Amino acid sequence: MIFTSPLGLLALLAIPAIVAIHLFRRRFPPRPVAGLFLWQAVQQTPQGGGRISKLPVTASLILECLAALALALILSGARLNPASVNEHLIFLLDDSASMAAVNSGNQSPRDRAAQRVADEVERFGRGVRVTLIQSGERPAVLAGPAALAVEIVPALEKWKPESQHHSLALGMRLARELAGKTGRIMVFSDAPPELEMEGVQWVSVGEPLGNVGIIGAQRSLSPNEGKGSISLTFGNSSTESTKRRLHLVAEGKEILTQEVNVPPKVSSLQLPLPAGLPAVTVGLSNDTLQRDNEVTLVEPRPQIVSVENRLPNGRGHDALDRALRALAGVTRSDHAQLVFGPANVLDQPAEPGVWRAGFGRAPARMLATGESQDLVGPFVPEKRHPLLQGITLAGVVWAGALPVNLSAVHPVLSSGNQPLIGLVGSRPDDGILFNVDLDKTNLLRAPDWPILVSNVVELRRQDLPGPERWNYRAGEWIRVRLGRDPKGPLHFKCGSVERDLPSARLMEFTAPAPCGLLQITEGKDVLFQLGVNFLDETESNLSDRARGEFGKPNPQAGGMRAESGPETDPLFWTLLAIAGAAVLANWCWALRVTGSRA
Amino acid sequence: MPPIQVDWPEVHRVAAAFRLAMPRTPVGGRLGERLGSGTGSSLEFQDYRQYAMGDDLRHVDWSAYARSEVLTVRLYREEVSPRIDLVLDVSRSMTVTEKKGRAYGELCGLLACACASAEADSRIVTATVDQAQPLERPEQIERFLSCDAEFSALEESHIPFRRRSLRVVVSDFLFPHDADVLVRRLARDGASLALIQLTLPEEADPSVEGGRRMLDVEGHGEFDLVIDDKAVRDYRERFGRLRLGLVRAARRAGASFSHVLAGTPLRHTAKALAAAGVLESA
Repeated sequence: MIFTSPLGLLALLAIPAIVAIHLFRRRFPPRPVAGLFLWQAVQQTPQGGGRISKLPVTASLILECLAALALALILSGARLNPASVNEHLIFLLDDSASMAAVNSGNQSPRDRAAQRVADEVERFGRGVRVTLIQSGERPAVLAGPAALAVEIVPALEKWKPESQHHSLALGMRLARELAGKTGRIMVFSDAPPELEMEGVQWVSVGEPLGNVGIIGAQRSLSPNEGKGSISLTFGNSSTESTKRRLHLVAEGKEILTQEVNVPPKVSSLQLPLPAGLPAVTVGLSNDTLQRDNEVTLVEPRPQIVSVENRLPNGRGHDALDRALRALAGVTRSDHAQLVFGPANVLDQPAEPGVWRAGFGRAPARMLATGESQDLVGPFVPEKRHPLLQGITLAGVVWAGALPVNLSAVHPVLSSGNQPLIGLVGSRPDDGILFNVDLDKTNLLRAPDWPILVSNVVELRRQDLPGPERWNYRAGEWIRVRLGRDPKGPLHFKCGSVERDLPSARLMEFTAPAPCGLLQITEGKDVLFQLGVNFLDETESNLSDRARGEFGKPNPQAGGMRAESGPETDPLFWTLLAIAGAAVLANWCWALRVTGSRA
Repeated sequence: MPPIQVDWPEVHRVAAAFRLAMPRTPVGGRLGERLGSGTGSSLEFQDYRQYAMGDDLRHVDWSAYARSEVLTVRLYREEVSPRIDLVLDVSRSMTVTEKKGRAYGELCGLLACACASAEADSRIVTATVDQAQPLERPEQIERFLSCDAEFSALEESHIPFRRRSLRVVVSDFLFPHDADVLVRRLARDGASLALIQLTLPEEADPSVEGGRRMLDVEGHGEFDLVIDDKAVRDYRERFGRLRLGLVRAARRAGASFSHVLAGTPLRHTAKALAAAGVLESA
């Protein structure tokens, strides 16, 4: 006999309690008498025994103890049969969107996978335990772990593959954890396995299909010209050119319909669009894969950075002017958001919202003792800092670098112990020091100069309120800067997905799937509208899908011990019958005693 | 308890040898075969008195007239049929056990037969009926032996006795009472009184039984009691006082008292009652 809930044995304490009750509450056998008054004067025995005497072993005591024992055993989960050993099947389902591609018979790899899962479950019988795992960047358990066979049917019906292309490694890791040494792992995908995996049966349920999908989309705006445009990139996985009908819809109105001829592989198309249109949905006519036939594009609102050049006239001033003129989204202003000027003012407080980039001699408090140096390298950059994106400094002579106190700046670029570019505070908005003499250095003639200026401008642009971009791929990080404290609860809604956002000046989250128009709201007010689109070239390409079975399940998998319900054990019913009979008999006995007294 | 079944063949066999004993003092009653307390037309001489107009000339003692020339008439005792009131205790205590109930039925049957042999006007008095009921045949007594009353007839304040009747009371007397008051009430205006106490042997002489739930069969309470030596001793003492009280009260009232133990053979019971003067040989 085993006990599935040994703590239930604590209920056995009821037995000594019953005995104690019987011990201290005597129940003498009844004795009908004619002259009770003749006995009444004799010493009476109190109802509750004051001292322990011999326990009266009555039918009531036996029946009550028997019922308590039986109920305690039921509570403790007493079983005659140990837990049965059942097969444990772990199905890892590829959730990539290509699994939903339908063939001419209107059948998809998803349908074949679901049917195969059902067949496997039926093959192993009613007692089989099943775990359904949906792959993805964050694998999820759809049913289980170790669910009953009947539980997987609704989970399979709900499963609709629509994720971006992703590796199955994470899902495989989860499957192996859940399988342990007892489960059989089967992977269902429309692609063949990249590597042979030991102890895993890989079932490819795909088939090569031709498909035309939108694998890239961009919406741009030229504010000066007052025009917009949409650039679309098509992927055609068939070997022939395919005609498709293209629809552009804005605010529920169709603004453009045209036939497009999509050649094999990759092609692009640019469509003019009037400025000021709200979110536009571009759709292709139906084909094999629905997921890549539609994109939603939001018109970007350019974030203009106002810039002021306060460098003294000379090489540096002119070079900066040239670099700024080459940048888009930049305007000149006397009350600029970004000021390029001499570095000696960086120790003075800046106006609110104004970033300063200082060139030349740093303020005295930042300088260490020593002479200026002309450096040719080696330069040590903080590689991932956005200021140095694309900077190589090849052949650059960094001239006039003064020794700077390391405690005064946070170096971004340095040579030896000499900071060459540094942040005055912890953030760029406290000031950026360029420890270089622009009149001497050849940096101004190097290709790194316009890139460096552009990086400074883009860094400032990223700090302006609003989203970094307006259109995203599903799964990309979305960063939206509010520029002020939130006035109400923030959340976003994208199709059926709706989530709360942390109440902060900077919102960061991944673009959700399914895709579409994403709205960021503050209370009831819509702050921003962004486009989130599928745009997955790998998933759109269905030419390399395959069908077949690879590998074998783990032969050592011995199945898992699964606890069956109490109704399957005869001891449960026996104990229940004993308890019921004891309670009933005790009740009848009590009735009989009461009746005889009456 | 089921109705009491009387073994009538056995009762008739025993009762054939006995009848209810009549008191030596004259009794009252209708015209019958027993000498009454007044003058009548029997053959037993009682007294002389001077002749008065209207007297029966057949009773004139002519011999006395010859000697004294005074008309004198002889007076004879009257002959009456005695009245018998058989008082039965039909409370539940009389059938506390089957044994006691059976003994009670046999005793009542014996007394009923004895009443019938006495050729008396016998009536039954119980607490369940307002008036005494006539007993014409001994077997009729069975219908009075339901024994389901909560109280004994003896505990009633008014008992429908007839004047100058012979009273036979059958009970276990196991109810709280003052013996003198009770017996005096039973004997008032009666020609005679016989008290018969019927108890179980264990009611008269209990033994040690251990713990028991004591239940009054008439529903007058219950309690737990350990029947040990002391309890038995105390009970015997109290029961002895109860019986002694009845004996003394009966003696003061000129009544007879008999104690019958259930389970005693009926013949022995009859002999004991005859010895006590309740019955006499037929």
